[in-house]
Amino acid sequence: MPRAGSSCPGCGSTNIEQDDLYAQTQLVCVDCGSVVAEGSLDNEPGAGSVVSYRRTTSAARKPCANLKKGLQRVTAICRILRVTKEVEDLSQTYYTQAYQHEHFLNVSLEKKEVLAACSVLISCRLHDWPITLTTISCLLDADPAVVGAVFKEMVSVLNISVPVFSITDLIEAHSQEYKISSQHVPEELAEDYRALTKRAVPLVELAADAWIVSGRKHIPIMMAAIYLAWQSLKPTKQRLKFTLDKFCQMAKVNKQRPALTRIIEMKEMLCKLGKEIPWVTEAVNSSNVVRLMEDILKHRNALLRRAMRTQKALLEEEQDSGDDSVTEETAPVKIPELTEHAQSTSSVQQCGQNTERANVLGDEDDPCTVPELHSNTQKNQDPAPNWGKRLLFAPPCVIHAKIRRVEQTEVKDVTGDEEISDSEIDSYIRTPREAREFALAQKTLSSSEK
Amino acid sequence: MDSSNDDALDIIITNVVATFRTRCHLNLRTIALEGINVIYKPELGKVLMKLRKPKITASIWSSGKIICTGATSEDEAKLGARRLARCLQKLGFKVRFSAFKVVNVLAVCSMPFAVHLIDFTKNNRPIASYEPELHPAAMYRIKHLKATVQVFSTGSVTVTGPNVQNVATAVEQIYPLLFECQKPLCKS
Repeated sequence: MPRAGSSCPGCGSTNIEQDDLYAQTQLVCVDCGSVVAEGSLDNEPGAGSVVSYRRTTSAARKPCANLKKGLQRVTAICRILRVTKEVEDLSQTYYTQAYQHEHFLNVSLEKKEVLAACSVLISCRLHDWPITLTTISCLLDADPAVVGAVFKEMVSVLNISVPVFSITDLIEAHSQEYKISSQHVPEELAEDYRALTKRAVPLVELAADAWIVSGRKHIPIMMAAIYLAWQSLKPTKQRLKFTLDKFCQMAKVNKQRPALTRIIEMKEMLCKLGKEIPWVTEAVNSSNVVRLMEDILKHRNALLRRAMRTQKALLEEEQDSGDDSVTEETAPVKIPELTEHAQSTSSVQQCGQNTERANVLGDEDDPCTVPELHSNTQKNQDPAPNWGKRLLFAPPCVIHAKIRRVEQTEVKDVTGDEEISDSEIDSYIRTPREAREFALAQKTLSSSEK
Repeated sequence: MDSSNDDALDIIITNVVATFRTRCHLNLRTIALEGINVIYKPELGKVLMKLRKPKITASIWSSGKIICTGATSEDEAKLGARRLARCLQKLGFKVRFSAFKVVNVLAVCSMPFAVHLIDFTKNNRPIASYEPELHPAAMYRIKHLKATVQVFSTGSVTVTGPNVQNVATAVEQIYPLLFECQKPLCKS
């Protein structure tokens, strides 16, 4: 039966009939057979109210399992380090923030573990809790470089300004790692960590003034300081004979190789100051300086002033004698002098690199060519000694400064657009004969290798 | 180069990195065979060619892109690049020297005073960062100059930037910041 107002979209005829397919009503064009309209398959009464999947079927949204594990790890690390509740809470907050940040979303599981440790480290730093990166990486048994990289990323991503620890803050915490209290070792070798810290802190401060600390890793320095402090607290023959190896074995810590060099440097520094003690008549060297360490540390300011004054006097003496002679090399060892920076005659320009050039241009003896001598030696004819050489203590890079060759003049003449002659270029190209021989040689080499 | 201060600071350029293109395909095996001072690295797909004067090392790719390192000034880098292009021309390639650009300049400078790095970092908080356990120098990034300055506690400073002018400006900018954090030379 044709329906009013409806036409087939396929052929345009109005001959449309209702032809039901089972339970579904359908309007079908008689001429071409296409279905014009169809009814709904089901006639459910509750079609009006829509209930979402979330409300009916899906379970409650759970936090990511890894995040939970990570937070547990953070708690575990905090418990091991025995930090306060605030530190623990803050580290958990940071961990959650970082974990959900897009930067750390797709990183490896190993990195996520390191992230947990770094959040503890950051929170400790913010609460002035002394802990080093190395300790954390040892705890995790992770590569310190990886821990360092993740730490840096985390700080920049979360935009936290983390205060830096100076080495003196870390000593007390570090000294507690050494198991040399009276419970662990016999009485004559035992020392309380508080006494060790008290002796080691001024030693490290002195070492910082003497340029032993800057630019070096903290742990070997602290190890050297604690070893020397332990020796000096009871300078018996037995203790003085103890090597660093044995000390570390006894204290159950891992020996750090650089600590040996630090010990030598610290002893040198102590010798320089020990020489100035008025009531010491014998010569001060590295074997007997440990006994004097207590006095040196007690009066370190006064001894420093005396040492500087001695140096100044020597420098003035040298300058006077240096004016007379020209190329003499003084045989006895001289301590580099200290002059007030303001009154130095050499201008700033002559400091730094220029002195090396001056050294090269003159026929003066070069400190760099005798690196095995200590900072004590100074060739007295430097026309403008750099600030390092004039001081009692100077960093090694300044004392053994690199010579800069006088290639600077060539640079000035280059413009970049000069003519390039053929002969120059030919020197970079093999002649055809050379090329053939080279190819042959390569072939024989490769065949002989096989 | 002089800074804007009364004393002159010696800024020494230690390395200039520049790139250019030859606009033609280069056969690396030919270069390795017929060139002197050439090292072929097939696993990396490039050839290293070293020039004697100026002292420059160039990495040459077969696409015709070349990176020159080791120059001590921008002009020297340009001269070395042109010499290299000429050399390749002589080897038989249709080289056209184009798109020369200095990409990176590395310079060192020595301050006449020591610097207290912890104070320096505190004063310049987000721009400066210092992690003594990771690296002994404090890093200071100047965004608008695209320069990075590394400050050591002895007063040595290394600057990297896109060109020599930026490097000089960076040193000028950082000098006052370092000056106010200087370490006294003698303990009072």
